[in-house]
Amino acid sequence: MNDASTRPRVLLCECAGTMTNIDFHRLAAHAAEQADVVRGAHWCGREGQAQLLEIMEAGGERPLVFAGCSADFATRRFQKLMARGLRMEVADIREGCSWVHGDDVDAVTRKAMGLVEAAVRYPSTTAETLSHSTRENTVLIIGGGVAGTQAAAEIAQMGHQVELVERRPFLGGRAARIGSVFPTNDCGQCLPTTDDQAGVRKCFHRNVAIDHPDLHVWRRTTVESVSGRPGDFEVALRRLPNMVTDACVNCGTCETVCPEPASEPGHKAIFHEYYDGRVVRTIDLDACSFCGVCAEACPVEAIDFTQSPERMTVHAGAIVAATGCVPAPDEYVEYLGYGHDGVVTQVELAEMLPAWEEQAALGHMPAREVVMVQCAGSRDRRYLPYCSRLCCMIALKHAMRLKKLFPRMKVTICYLELRTAGIGYENWFLAARRAGVEFLRGTPPEVQFDADGRPVIEVEDVTAARKSVLRPDLVVLSTGLVPPKENTAMAQILGIELDEDGFVEILDRKNRATETTAEGIFVCGSSAGPKALIEVSTEASAVASEVHNFLRSAGRRSTPASVVDEAACVGCDVCSTMCPFNAITLVDRPDDAPRPVEVKDEGKLAVIDEGVCRACGICAANCPELAIAHNQHDEAILGRLATLTDGVERPIVGFYCKECAGAAISLGGQHKDKYPENVRLVELPCLGRVSALHIVEAVRLGAAGVFLAGCAEDRCHYRTGDASAAEQKRVAEELLAEARLAVPLEQWHLCAVDRLSVGRRIRMFAAKATHDDETLAALERELEQLGGHCLSHADVMAGADSTVGVAPCAGCGGGEPVAHVH
Amino acid sequence: MRTFTERSDTRRVDDEPSMPTRYPDQVLEEFAKLAEECSICYQCGTCTSACPSARDLYRGPRRLVRLILAGEIDALFASDDLWRCTECGACTTACRMEIDVASVLARVRALERIHGSIRCPERTAAEAAARRLERHPRIENVLFAAAMAARGHVPRDVVGAAEAGMKIVRTRLPGPKRAATGASPTRPTVTLPFYAGCSLPQDGELHALVHEVAAGFGVRLDEVDAGCCGHPSRGAVPTHFTSDERVWTACPACDASLAEASVDTAPLWDALVERARREGFALRARSASFVPYVGCLADRDKAIAALGDAAELAGVDMQVAYPGLHNACCGALGGMYRGATKGSKRLLEFAAQAGAPVVTPCVLCRDNVRSAARQLRLSVPVYFWPEFFRAAEPPREEASDA
Repeated sequence: MNDASTRPRVLLCECAGTMTNIDFHRLAAHAAEQADVVRGAHWCGREGQAQLLEIMEAGGERPLVFAGCSADFATRRFQKLMARGLRMEVADIREGCSWVHGDDVDAVTRKAMGLVEAAVRYPSTTAETLSHSTRENTVLIIGGGVAGTQAAAEIAQMGHQVELVERRPFLGGRAARIGSVFPTNDCGQCLPTTDDQAGVRKCFHRNVAIDHPDLHVWRRTTVESVSGRPGDFEVALRRLPNMVTDACVNCGTCETVCPEPASEPGHKAIFHEYYDGRVVRTIDLDACSFCGVCAEACPVEAIDFTQSPERMTVHAGAIVAATGCVPAPDEYVEYLGYGHDGVVTQVELAEMLPAWEEQAALGHMPAREVVMVQCAGSRDRRYLPYCSRLCCMIALKHAMRLKKLFPRMKVTICYLELRTAGIGYENWFLAARRAGVEFLRGTPPEVQFDADGRPVIEVEDVTAARKSVLRPDLVVLSTGLVPPKENTAMAQILGIELDEDGFVEILDRKNRATETTAEGIFVCGSSAGPKALIEVSTEASAVASEVHNFLRSAGRRSTPASVVDEAACVGCDVCSTMCPFNAITLVDRPDDAPRPVEVKDEGKLAVIDEGVCRACGICAANCPELAIAHNQHDEAILGRLATLTDGVERPIVGFYCKECAGAAISLGGQHKDKYPENVRLVELPCLGRVSALHIVEAVRLGAAGVFLAGCAEDRCHYRTGDASAAEQKRVAEELLAEARLAVPLEQWHLCAVDRLSVGRRIRMFAAKATHDDETLAALERELEQLGGHCLSHADVMAGADSTVGVAPCAGCGGGEPVAHVH
Repeated sequence: MRTFTERSDTRRVDDEPSMPTRYPDQVLEEFAKLAEECSICYQCGTCTSACPSARDLYRGPRRLVRLILAGEIDALFASDDLWRCTECGACTTACRMEIDVASVLARVRALERIHGSIRCPERTAAEAAARRLERHPRIENVLFAAAMAARGHVPRDVVGAAEAGMKIVRTRLPGPKRAATGASPTRPTVTLPFYAGCSLPQDGELHALVHEVAAGFGVRLDEVDAGCCGHPSRGAVPTHFTSDERVWTACPACDASLAEASVDTAPLWDALVERARREGFALRARSASFVPYVGCLADRDKAIAALGDAAELAGVDMQVAYPGLHNACCGALGGMYRGATKGSKRLLEFAAQAGAPVVTPCVLCRDNVRSAARQLRLSVPVYFWPEFFRAAEPPREEASDA
């Protein structure tokens, strides 16, 4: 520290004289013991920034500590300098000290001294080298439905190479095969083109965007395995031959002469399914006898039986899963008579409608009465527990179509709730009511059949509170949508997680809707849950820009990855199971690797993939051997704790994450909500970084109470940090109870909305931990004055006592929201 | 969670002029538990759609559950529909959220029995039955009907009641006694334990007929006298059965309640049909076709299928429209008969149109549907299983012991 070339420099900011309760002379003198102090009245002003730039450029290896506002605030103020390479440790003596404390200059100054000293002596390591610098410019897209194809076209347009893999021989997916789609009531075969004209859409076969030179379509291809890392995946593909080449002119001679029927009724071994304009026909390899009759008959010699399956490898920087969803299996709706004559699904009705249209033209009415049963096998714990979102609109669409074709047909929709939430959807409901479609709230438990085999439905008309017996000619079941059964295998190959319903788990449902739980692997469309075409199209565009950003943002991390100390790692699997990003693997310990004494010849060693690690510190907090070095090292955290609590009578220690809780605390500080000086806060990257060791150490140092503040419930930025912290808190509680040192420990879930209440929350916790009844009574009076609250003293205490975090009330910072019933 | 006490406190004064009843904490706690169990109910109404009694209820299971969720104990304890539940369990089977609706309603009834004061024939019947059962193991319909009448509940089917009463009185009078219970066996004979319950012994002729028909199949019935079966509408505790052996019954109510008490029971008709099939003899039926009917107490699908088996062995035609038609409520609504229902009306109209009698394996249903036919002035005969089916005369030479 005394070496002049590495001696830290402290930039002491007085924030334009707003920190009157700090004695800056004393603070500067104290800091000067460890570092050179440069005082400034207003570092973020024009002159201050110019001076900082000079210091930065002349700085060399000397670490910088900025003592002033919070890291959040300073980062924004010095954004331009940061972009030019400014790296500094921040000691928050403003929102975290001066602004939140009273007029006790001695106490406040001593706290500021501790904060500066801790930042000088125990800085967190910064990322000097970027964890990855290049990313493969290729994107692999799995699934050639609307989602995958549109994303492929857009990504290619953005300048990336695209490998589009489709299991079937034809592009277009489900949308191309169904009839008209809502909300536009036209076919589902069009995609937006990526040419200059706005608003242009074209069918798959006319859409030249798919023919982009950088977009390569792999038909009849499946993904066999994926290895490598985000930015550089190695993907093994297996392609079945199409046998029919591009020379095919779609004359159909082959299909006429083919003697072999295929497994699907009406198909022959050589068949066409959907015309996407590029591949016209294909051969069902299971059904074909390879007799060669078609090849002989083909006038353009487009059938080539010499083709054989191939295996290929492609390198991709990013992968997009766009595998869609499929209708629920038949057995989910057998209880509603599916399989019996007169009972069909909406999909089957869609297939029947063209024929019915012709009947209508002839003046026939194929059915007198049609009943549609919504939520068939859906929103039902025995089958599909979720809502598939589309079935209501599909039913409305079909019901109106029927009413239009056959005005005298009685069409009844038995529904539970009609979910028409979407732009313009409600108008469909209105139009259906106007068209004379009957709506009956209630669903039958079964469909029965009379002696003539006609369906009989007995159902409670819930709104009328009576039973109805319906005798339709046709029952149409609105079945739900499920993930394709191949999803499980795909998830395993890609290393991504599926949600409890089997759809691809989204990293963050609110903000990162197209990212999976694995970095570099994205998702769009119905793979992540049933979606209407309108949403699929939006997601395809969204994923295109997400992928583009990902490929363009190599090295976006500023924190270094965590590192395993080989000499201390015993090869247990705690870290690898705890890691929320699957960044840690256990490998066989190399012979030459250092090892702890208890580890003999064989054994495993944990290795952290620095390309995947996001430096949350959950592994480091949970490692039983303290063998993982995080950029906020255990020694640094313990050192900070010791420095901050030094000379404080019964401190209150708070660990908080720098994400949501950090936002609440620093915004609360700007709000100048006061709390006592003996509250000492330690900022962590994620609350998951806190370990029982840190909590016990805080108590050993005399803490009267410890609180852990993390992000809103289940909204940890690192997925499992709050759960890890809860577990560490439980361990600490046990240890402290054993040592008879039990003090109040609380875990809070905060986010920016708590800015107005976080100060009061800390005050309340401090008062409770130090048994300050007077303050507690005052707080209670304060809450009463806020008005509208029916909290009794007992409720306040119950809320504060609870060991699990309760969603705090934005108004008062305590108790459950339910307590606010008027 | 909101508690029931809070609910009472926060109710607006103009909601209801009278003060809501204060229930003991135990009741409130039990209701809080019930509400928690039902909290995931989203009022789809599938339970009511499935309920065989609900055709005639103002409040089906769905609305009763809604009252639990709303904390409206007063309203629940004022709804006599609560007592028309037969615990057939259709609601539990149908529930999308896997709530045990039947058990929830049973628990509400248990509370109502102690803390409520619903005045409806079903509840009164249950209560009177329970009281009598403390003294006598069996309900006697004459006394029971008299007790009911004294409370102002005159059966709607007065004619039927009088007929039944006369019949019972006849069996008590000296004169031609019950037909011999062991009619001369003409087939190899087996002996089966048989539990007659409370309805059969009150109709001596019918009781004798059951023995006679069974004997025709070569089955001797060994009557187990084990007291009341404990049917919920009677509200009695199931009596003890000493043997683990399967007991055969002639009444689905007995079947259902004994199954509750883990006694292995099965309808006697199953044994008879099975025996005919095994021994290779046919059944004889009263007419060439019939309309099946099974009420709420039996396992409805199975019982209709069993009737189908009998029809096949008898070579007669079972006329089925759709299953729900043949298992509507007979009119007893699980308790006391209250007249024709929409369900029994549809059934009888169908039978009248088909020109076939109604056949049921439940003696209670027979009486109720018969009364309904009389009320609706539809001349449709309604037969109890043994009144319709018999074993065909055996060829003499086949007689040898099995």
